[in-house]
Amino acid sequence: MLITFDGTFDGFLSVVYAVYYEKLEPVSIQIDGTEQLSLADLRRIETDSEKSARVFNAVRTKISPEAALRVYYAFLSSAENRFLSILKYIQLGFSVGHMVDSRLHESFVRDVHDFYKNVGREAHLLHGFCRFAETQQGVFYCPVTPKNDVLVLLAEHFVERLMNQAWVIHDKRRKKAAIYDGKSYVVAEVPAGAEFSYADGELETQELWVQFFNALAITERKNKKLQRQLLPFHFRGNMTEFV
Amino acid sequence: MDMMDKLKILADAAKYDVACTSSGSNRAAKRGALGNAVACGICHSFTADGRCVSLLKVLLTNKCIYDCQYCGNRRSNDVPRAEFTPDEVAELTIRFYQRNYIEGLFLSSAIIQSPDYTMELLAATLRTVRETYHFNGYIHVKTIPGANPLLIRQAGLLADRVSVNIELPSRESLARLAPEKTRQNILAPMRAIRENIAQSKNELSLYRAARNEPKFAPAGQSTQLIVGATPESDSKIVTLAEGLYGKFKLKRVFYSAYIPAGDSRLPTVAPPLLREHRLYQADWLLRFYGYKSGELFSSEDENLSLDMDPKCHWAVNNLHLFPVEISTADYLTLLRVPGIGQISAQKIVAARRVGKLDFEDLRKMRVVLKRAKYFITCNGKAYDKFPLLPETIAPRLTDSSRIDNYTQLTLAQ
Repeated sequence: MLITFDGTFDGFLSVVYAVYYEKLEPVSIQIDGTEQLSLADLRRIETDSEKSARVFNAVRTKISPEAALRVYYAFLSSAENRFLSILKYIQLGFSVGHMVDSRLHESFVRDVHDFYKNVGREAHLLHGFCRFAETQQGVFYCPVTPKNDVLVLLAEHFVERLMNQAWVIHDKRRKKAAIYDGKSYVVAEVPAGAEFSYADGELETQELWVQFFNALAITERKNKKLQRQLLPFHFRGNMTEFV
Repeated sequence: MDMMDKLKILADAAKYDVACTSSGSNRAAKRGALGNAVACGICHSFTADGRCVSLLKVLLTNKCIYDCQYCGNRRSNDVPRAEFTPDEVAELTIRFYQRNYIEGLFLSSAIIQSPDYTMELLAATLRTVRETYHFNGYIHVKTIPGANPLLIRQAGLLADRVSVNIELPSRESLARLAPEKTRQNILAPMRAIRENIAQSKNELSLYRAARNEPKFAPAGQSTQLIVGATPESDSKIVTLAEGLYGKFKLKRVFYSAYIPAGDSRLPTVAPPLLREHRLYQADWLLRFYGYKSGELFSSEDENLSLDMDPKCHWAVNNLHLFPVEISTADYLTLLRVPGIGQISAQKIVAARRVGKLDFEDLRKMRVVLKRAKYFITCNGKAYDKFPLLPETIAPRLTDSSRIDNYTQLTLAQ
């Protein structure tokens, strides 16, 4: 059986609910509209926030809070096979409880751990590599192009850190943005072609930063390979000191 | 002199301070103040030499009355000089922080007029940054050897981490190259900082913390020493570090491979960066793996091997303790297997509770077997029939290709 859902986390947990109560045996789980042609039965699962809340709560209490976090992070991953691996992980978790995380000989447990690590790592790196620029309207704008869908994780970090300024974190790859007005943030779609101009003094600050950054390198110890390892090229497109 | 030139001079003068960490302090965000700090630390960029940039690392001034031979800011050195005002430092910090360029401020200074005068300026600057500009991110402040303990206390209450640089590993070297500094001048503030931290952590202070009284340097203190400018052996340096971690409760000791400064009393050739790397490896063994400095050196060799990392070196010299059985060995024994670190050891301990583990399972769990395979057995089975002898194992653990990458360019002949 091939299951499709709307692509939201709630939708995915509704799939888990349906699989559990209707004893479904999916061979693949895909997002609506992206499913590939298949000879298997097709089944579309409606998103139901009540059901998804029950599943998430069950993961927290019957498996562990850490497992719930792993499931959420793994869901944000861009890996193709993530949905089926997470489903199997939750199923095994419901039967063995928190010990599921010790069953590293099961490939889907390792997968979920890997996705979790991968997403967490990218979000952590972007906590540092995000660059904001002040616009004429006084809003700080930050473009990102992450591989995984880490926008919400970034927003949660900057809500704390840059609490007193309005900002926008724009995921250019997924064409959506987290918009913060100084009190709370929302995630919204971004229409193509939105433009802005820099505030007065913004370019001067950027120049100061680049000056500082360049002064820091010890030329006798140049090591571009190490720099590339620690700060891969795909991050640099959005970073003030590299563009 | 405009901001751009000042920043260039004072960032350039501060860059040889290697401490870049922003870890160890959890500072919750506050309404009306800018920023927070997270205990894991965050790197914001990486320079062309591969070092992390996490703090706005600048000197308040590089106008120095001292003449330490290893230091680029010594008064006899002909370099451009500049100084920041407290407001300039605060404003720059805020502007960089709002754009997420940095995790916080690392403030140090050359010594102008006197140690006390300089320390007072540093404390005043921190006060401006914290109180006038409401900056709530990470601050690392360097204290000045010989400064009044009360001034150090003032600075420590505003900072997350304080440090005093030991600079040179022995009294004799200090006397020769930095005649204005003495061991006593350096260790006294370290001791004072330790006392302040301990006091801040005791019960009474916890009660104060609940009432939002400031903590003294919640991320602890660190120090730095220069390797290779003077003849001290690795053994001496590692033992010194062990003492600092033990007696002075330091969070970190940083090692900096010396870069030739052109003075006749100093060697003209820099030590290999690999030596610096080996010292860091040994440092990690002290702090996270339960090793004692004495275990890492033999009586005939006072220096760490450049061919092999210190953990492998120890294992090869203690082959009678191996192989270790994966299914039964305790956590600390697993940690001593070359190639198995904390993460792998924790995974093994967790996974073996639900089933037997063979080499294939370990590989799937991402335990790196490259070195470990010689030193472990899985359910009594060895990886292959390989005699566990120093002369057969050692060549397989050296990584000569790596050594080439660590040679350093110098201007010296």
